[in-house]
Parts: sequence; C-alpha cells; structure tokens
Amino acid sequence: MGVMRIGHISVKIMDMEAAINHYEKVLGMKTVHTDEAGNKYLKCWDEWDKYSLILQETDQAGLNHVAYKVEKESDLDELQQRIEAYGISTEMLPEGTMPFTGRLLKFNLPSGHEMRLFATKECVGTDVGSINPDPWPDDIRGSGVHWLDHCLLMCEMDPEKGVNKVEESTKFVMDVLEFKLAEQVLVGPEGNIQAATWLFRTSTPHDIAFVAGPRMGLHHFAFFLNGWSDVLKSADVMAKNKVKIDVPPTRHGITRGETIYFFDPSGNRNETFAGLGYLAQPDRPVVTWTEDQLWRGIFFHSGEESGSFTTAYT
Amino acid sequence: MFGLSAHQVAIPETGESFACKDKEALLAAMVKLGRKGIPVGCLNGGCGVCKVRVLRGEVQPTGPISRAHVSAEEEATRVTLACRATPTSDVALEILGKMKKSFLAQCGKPKAN
Repeated sequence: MGVMRIGHISVKIMDMEAAINHYEKVLGMKTVHTDEAGNKYLKCWDEWDKYSLILQETDQAGLNHVAYKVEKESDLDELQQRIEAYGISTEMLPEGTMPFTGRLLKFNLPSGHEMRLFATKECVGTDVGSINPDPWPDDIRGSGVHWLDHCLLMCEMDPEKGVNKVEESTKFVMDVLEFKLAEQVLVGPEGNIQAATWLFRTSTPHDIAFVAGPRMGLHHFAFFLNGWSDVLKSADVMAKNKVKIDVPPTRHGITRGETIYFFDPSGNRNETFAGLGYLAQPDRPVVTWTEDQLWRGIFFHSGEESGSFTTAYT
Repeated sequence: MFGLSAHQVAIPETGESFACKDKEALLAAMVKLGRKGIPVGCLNGGCGVCKVRVLRGEVQPTGPISRAHVSAEEEATRVTLACRATPTSDVALEILGKMKKSFLAQCGKPKAN
C-alpha cells in the first residue's frame, strides 16, 4: 500500500520547440498529448502509464510539481488524514484536473516543493506491449530512456539560522509517506547535520533525494538506462545535439549509479542514470557518507566537486 | 581573425578580457577560451548564476532568460545573463551572479580565515 514510485514531473521551460526537440530527440521520449493551455505531455517507451513529463512554456525554468503514484484510491484518503495530522495542509484535486489522471492529493513538502499523489492514470502499455514482448522497440530515438526514475530537490539549509529543510523533508517523507532512508551525508563538527538524503519506496536506492542548498529549487530529474554502454551512447547523443553536459559520464558512490548530468534548453538539469544500484530494502543498514568523503560519494572516480553541481539549479 | 568579426569583452573588476565573435554568447566564448570570471551554470538561461550588468557597449539577446533570476526592471538597467547575450560592440561587464557556495560545497574543505 501507499506510495509506489515517481509518477510524473511537471516543469517550466522557456522555449517549447527547443524543449520538445530535447526530450524527444535527445532523451527519446514521445509526445502523447497537448492540453488546451498548450502544455505538452511526454512518455518514455518502457513506461505503461500515459505520461511522465509535463512541459509548461513560461518565462522561467524550474519545478511546478512532482507526483508519486500510490497503489489504491483509498491510500489517497488515508494519506490525506496523515499529512493533515502531521500539520501540513492538503487539497484533493478532483479527477480530470489533470488529463488521463484521477484525483490528486496536493501539498507542499516542508522544503516548500509541491508534491502530488495520485492512484489512477490511464494505462496505455509500454511500447513493446504485454503479450510476448520484444526486449526493446524498433523506433527508439536518442538515448532511448526507459522511465522517469527519480528527482533531486534542493532544500534550504543554513545551520547558523537553524534552518535544515533536508532534515525536515526527510523526516516528513519517512514518517508520513513511509519512504525508507538508503543513504545520507552527515556533516558538521559533530557529524550530525543531515545535509543530503536518498530515499526509496521501490527496490532501488532512491526514488527521491534531498540536498542542502542556499535556496529551494529543482536540482535534477533523472531517466533510467540499463547500463554503462547506454550511458556512453547517451553522451554521444548529447554531443551530436550540442547539449550542455554538466558532468560527463562517471559513477556515483552514493547509489552506485552510472551517470551523466546535462541541461535541457531552459537550464533544467537532467540526468541519464544507469543501473539498479543494489537491492534496497527497509531492513538494509543505512549508508552514511562522512563530510571528508562527501565528494567521493557524489562523484566516485574523481572524489571532487565537478561541473556546477552545487551552484546551478532551477 | 578570419570569419566573423570579434569583439573584446572586459571584466574591469578582475582585469580579465577575452574575445567573443558575433552571434556567440558571452559565456560560451569565455568557456571555450578556458577563461574565468563569469560564473558558469546551465548555459541555457535558466539557473541565473551568470548574471551580469553591461557597463559599456551593446549586446543582443540570443534566447530567453529566466524571470526568476532577472526581472524586467533589472533588464531595463542592462542586466542580463551572459549565456544569453552576444556583443555587437566591445563591451565591459560587471559580474552580478553570485558564486555563493552552498553549504554542501563548503563541506570537507578548509575554512577560510
């Protein structure tokens, strides 16, 4: 019961034509719907629900909301009570508020980011179908990403003012949404300041992550690839399309993922992320990265800060 | 230089200067030359770290910039993002973008005195 996985992410972009070219040609998604307001809905080939990405053209970049799918409609009612009891106000958006989607439970994380939960979205099947399927479809474009995998939200952190929205948001999703903690970064003189967390509901190490920053924002959203050779091909696709790569192919110590960070044409950071990492289970010991090994955790090969990881986000 | 004409881009506060061709974004030119001075982020107008004020000379936009980082009022006072502006003359820039290191970026490094 409860939250199953990330369902979709709605992001702001500044040039729809450029964004569609990026998400279709570079990532390999398909546009499945345009609503009356002109927002575009896209889907990856290995996803079975109708859409996982919504693009809204406006005058800035960044997150509108991130949505997670719960197992049953009744979960929405139960979670609404629990979230309200925790002291966070909610709104139940009626079916049809978003196309092809049932009711949505809308609220803000302690960090301020808008999260929505839903149980129902039109199931259209993967591009290989469910009867004697091929392992992959013939019309894959670009990186051919399988599915929207996770997002990382930057949360306000200022220890001198006693502000730590990483810790607050982590506690909320654990206590109320029953996310489990896979890995964390602990810093400070006492080694007790939770500066970053990776949490899961699936059996992979993270479905959501929170990292400390000077202001709240969207750090990145990631799409799944099978393995290292797919990551290399994805980097080739980016070079062919002159995509701005933030961090070229490498491995994360945290989650063990193989990765590329890059930017969409409006500056939203994307990641193509490969590997299932390890079997994440509620009883698996939490992995802790200490302050002196923090960057080894983030970029395992170099052990150093790379690109604009902590400075640039939308 | 052959081909497109180039303009000089100066950053008075650091003494840095570099060449930027017509139609090339200020920030892209700096990165390509391996120069430093303007903070580098997404290069696509979204993150705001390369915010500059044009002190002298003229620039043209090369694409949209995020209103979350540059307001219309600021834009009217010659503030823009270096990733989305190309010079049409020699220019001088003031760096406004904060390389404000996040708490995480400071972790594990010696503290400044």
